[in-house]
Amino acid sequence: MIPTLLAVAVLVFVLVRVIPGDVVELRLVSGGTFVTKQVVEAERARLGLDKSLWRQFGDWMTGIARFDLGTSMWTGAPITHEIGIRLQLSLQLALMATLIAVAVAIPLGTIAAVRRGTWADAVVQVISVSGLAVPSFWLGILFILFLLSYFHWLPPLTFTPLWQNPRANLLQLIWPALAVGYRYSAVTTRMTRSSLLEVLREDYVRTAWSKGLAGWRVVRHHALRNALLPVVAVIGLEFAFLIGGLVVTEQVFNLNGIGKLFVDAISHRDYTLIQGLMLLVSFAYIVMNLGIDLMHAWLDPRIAYQ
Amino acid sequence: MIVWPRPRPRGLARFVRKYPLGAAGGSLILVTMAAAAFAGWIAPRHPLDTDLLKMFAPPGPGHWLGTDAFGRDILSRLLYGARTALLIGFSASLSGATLGAVVGVISAYFGGTTDLLIQRLADIMISFPIIILAMAIVAVMGTGTFNLIVAIGLSFIPRVELVVRASALGVRRAPYLEAARAVGAGHRRIIFRHMVPNVVAPYLVMLTVMLGQAILLEASLSFLGLGVAEPTPAWGLMLSGAAVEFVQRAPWMAIFPGLAISITVLAFNVLGDALRDALDPKLRT
Repeated sequence: MIPTLLAVAVLVFVLVRVIPGDVVELRLVSGGTFVTKQVVEAERARLGLDKSLWRQFGDWMTGIARFDLGTSMWTGAPITHEIGIRLQLSLQLALMATLIAVAVAIPLGTIAAVRRGTWADAVVQVISVSGLAVPSFWLGILFILFLLSYFHWLPPLTFTPLWQNPRANLLQLIWPALAVGYRYSAVTTRMTRSSLLEVLREDYVRTAWSKGLAGWRVVRHHALRNALLPVVAVIGLEFAFLIGGLVVTEQVFNLNGIGKLFVDAISHRDYTLIQGLMLLVSFAYIVMNLGIDLMHAWLDPRIAYQ
Repeated sequence: MIVWPRPRPRGLARFVRKYPLGAAGGSLILVTMAAAAFAGWIAPRHPLDTDLLKMFAPPGPGHWLGTDAFGRDILSRLLYGARTALLIGFSASLSGATLGAVVGVISAYFGGTTDLLIQRLADIMISFPIIILAMAIVAVMGTGTFNLIVAIGLSFIPRVELVVRASALGVRRAPYLEAARAVGAGHRRIIFRHMVPNVVAPYLVMLTVMLGQAILLEASLSFLGLGVAEPTPAWGLMLSGAAVEFVQRAPWMAIFPGLAISITVLAFNVLGDALRDALDPKLRT
């Protein structure tokens, strides 16, 4: 895990350094104002860009070891602070989207697999294949249109924490959560269906049927339990990748979360912030992978780890 | 009377009969391609023509799908937008999938340290969602159509590479490969005559899936202001700014471009699913 993370850090560091031209010049000149050489030099020194590449990388790494990702080139605030104040919103959004996805996907996927080839299967297939095609930001715009037309109401722009006013908080976040959750549940539904279809062909499922167990009992206790392993993996990986969906959805609903921070960092060319966020995204993915492995061992005792 | 068995439909006819949904997707893609190619003839107006007297005109006889905040005809912009979407979609996925396939075959064929290094790099790149990777590349290279193609294509490489490599590994130890080596075939002959034909199926399936993905990505990035720039007609761009701001006053501005994206991506996904079932049932994405 540490070597992978280190390799990610190197890649991100190199990616940000291959920019044609100088970051500082790019930023100062793009402002359209005339700048003297001294100003550029001073700014470079302030950001530590005058040091050798090895020193820069070393500084960044020692900072990371102390949970310090450096300061944002745009706002000047510590990056951990910039991320910290937005993490709550994005994390809650991600958890809500996951809940929606699981609540929708597992029943729908199960119905589709058990009633394979019927109209119910067809309906579920259409819903889930559309979920992969509809852009989440467009779904968000449609939600806004719906709320405006029927309730003359828009989700407020300022974030209300859950413990301050749970109702206002949920009313605000349910719409973006649904917009992101649709795609998420589509992926999970497809996985549930195909995984369950495979398990339903197993001998022990036929045995369960033939000894006369009730239908729901066979599906729930014998088939679904064994089919859930890959589903859990998909839920976990999609959770780690939710930042990709949040990037566009937070923009539509004007929510100040991690996704919007990332978009702002890109449009401001805030390279230190991009570096920090990329590392965080990759870290989430690596940790999630580890979590899925551990979960597998717990769900399936046959998988053992040395 | 002799009753001859009806000949089994072959090729395309068989595909259409067995996978009607996939065939429907394929036809829809052909329609979109035609719309993009003949946009100059079909479009009622030039996509950049502004008419300040007809801002936010609702769909009607003059403008079938209405006009936007500058009085530009939405139908014409959608038709020309198909050009942008398909140009970026095809270039990005073709280059990304092809490079990914080449790297995948090389990785599988040579094995050892080459394979290890390539796989580590692919693992790292895969730890980012595609859109995040594409955005980071855009941050480095800047926006614009060409840079967008590079950014999307590059982020596809590791995903295609992994799938193609897995297929190529399957034939690496095949007896006929050993036979080819025994009769003195060189690297090039073995790779092109024996390995490449075996990875064509996963390559085609991945290519179709990535095409839909690329169109969705282009729309998302353009929507965020990190893709193609105004005034180029692009579906994602049509949904940003005024479309959200005036969504209640002119809902057609938001509805039609989104429909265009969804239907096109859906068509590619459905065709990809059918191709996968037809060509390579082992592959599941």
